[in-house]
Amino acid sequence: MQALLPNLMRRLPEFWKACGDTLLMEVWSGAIIFVLGLIFGIILTVTKPGGIMENRPIYQVLDKIINLFRSIPFIILLTALMPLSRAIMGTAIYVRGVIVPLVFGATPFFARQVESALAQTEKGLVEAALSMGSSPFEVIFRVYLRESLAPIIRAITITIISLLGLTAMAGAVGAGGLGDFAIRYGHDRNMQDITWVVVGVLVLGVSVVQWLGEYFARKNTH
Amino acid sequence: MIELEHIVKSFNADRKDTAIHAVNDVSLTINDGDIFGIIGFSGAGKSTLVRCINLLERPDSGSVRIDGVEMTRLKPKELYKARTKIGMIFQQFNLMPSRTVMQNVAYPLRGMSKEEMKARVRELLALVDIPDKENSYPSELSGGQKQRVAIARALANDPTILLCDEATSALDPQTTGSILQLLKDLNRKLGLTIVVITHEMEVVKNICLKAAVMDAGRVIESGDVFEIFSSPKHPVTRNFVRTTSNLSKIETLIRDKSPIVQLKPGELMARLVYVYADVSEPLISYASRAFDVVINIVLADVEIVAGSMVGGTVVIFSGPRENIDRAIDYYKSKNIRVEVIQDAGPSA
Repeated sequence: MQALLPNLMRRLPEFWKACGDTLLMEVWSGAIIFVLGLIFGIILTVTKPGGIMENRPIYQVLDKIINLFRSIPFIILLTALMPLSRAIMGTAIYVRGVIVPLVFGATPFFARQVESALAQTEKGLVEAALSMGSSPFEVIFRVYLRESLAPIIRAITITIISLLGLTAMAGAVGAGGLGDFAIRYGHDRNMQDITWVVVGVLVLGVSVVQWLGEYFARKNTH
Repeated sequence: MIELEHIVKSFNADRKDTAIHAVNDVSLTINDGDIFGIIGFSGAGKSTLVRCINLLERPDSGSVRIDGVEMTRLKPKELYKARTKIGMIFQQFNLMPSRTVMQNVAYPLRGMSKEEMKARVRELLALVDIPDKENSYPSELSGGQKQRVAIARALANDPTILLCDEATSALDPQTTGSILQLLKDLNRKLGLTIVVITHEMEVVKNICLKAAVMDAGRVIESGDVFEIFSSPKHPVTRNFVRTTSNLSKIETLIRDKSPIVQLKPGELMARLVYVYADVSEPLISYASRAFDVVINIVLADVEIVAGSMVGGTVVIFSGPRENIDRAIDYYKSKNIRVEVIQDAGPSA
């Protein structure tokens, strides 16, 4: 081990902390993104023209805001949102400082994913539920969310994976984590073994998430 | 009783130039316990009209009264409650694919314990005659079975009305027959009022006593199914009646110059249409003997509609012209409509 990964073995505690930081970023921002994205995705679905709670102004505004944030490259969002981050979280660095830009960067993405997952629900199911006396809220929970569980799980999988990419980028502005670790040692000091191990950890993480997502999605498909 | 008065529903109503009148000033009354057919070609507005009954489509103007209650004025919560008493089934069945048959039928049930729910679902599944499928998923069922589950689900809250939107259009003829029979049984057993939307005259003929014909958003003819069948007044209705009748094949035969319809001198081809409710006399053989003409049946189509006989035959008369004329006069005196299709003229 020592011979194979000399630089990594000398920085093991720092490596574990980087892993932990990445996980922390992923979990915190992921939880917030999940809730917000789900809500926005549902609002988009039900307020769009022909939706069960059709509302043009709300749909138009939300639709435009999502497009706006999706068109800003994440690396720019990171720096642009620093003041907001300081205002909300008290800091613009470390794990705490990067939660705000991560949420802004990935929520619109997840909201769109949810919207397209819900769009796979056949209109006929919604119509049948309404004809049986379901209220719009019942339709949201008992038809839309329940019947598109599999595509929503896939949307979560994709979002977690792309969020992992964003957390690595966030490392560049002092958030810590694996991305930061790889850049500081692997790139800046040319410690190749560190780069490779970080890549390996990320590949492993993505694979596990993908496998779990597919497993649960399939379990919910009949 | 369902009373629709001056229902108007258009789509794209905000833009006058592209507004489409899906339903244009329709008034209909459907009595309790009726099986009422609404028939029309696709795009005639019948699906929109039926959705105005449970307000899945809200009419632009007009009144929808069910048992005297004005539906369009109900508050949302009252409307949801009212809808539980109006079942609806669809062409594509619309069962929830992630739920088992049991869970699908239990969907509209509320305020019950798990055990009560199970018992109620089993009762409903027995009613529609698929008792052994409660743990299957919809994807494991045939079309006919899916529609039976959908009917069970629609009946879960003991509705007084069942709306059927092209409910048999995705099924093969045999399955269609069994579903129609089931609807008929439910009508009789539960006193259910059934509204049947369809583009198939067969369906109306099979189970409805009353019907309305729709075209371009309007009701162009309505009344007893037997009346509509035996003496259609509007061209669109006639078209519909003809699509189900064998007798229309004669036009194709003539166009294709089939040898069957080539007349020899002295022969005359005519369509005999029975327009009264009692065709029990042996009309063909009697006329043949009484007036000494040969009557050759080319096509025949007699059906039972709403419990009475409707239909007719296409025949070729041959013999001396005055005998043929006397036979035709005899038929006319018996209230049979005689339309001469081709006449080869008297034989030399």
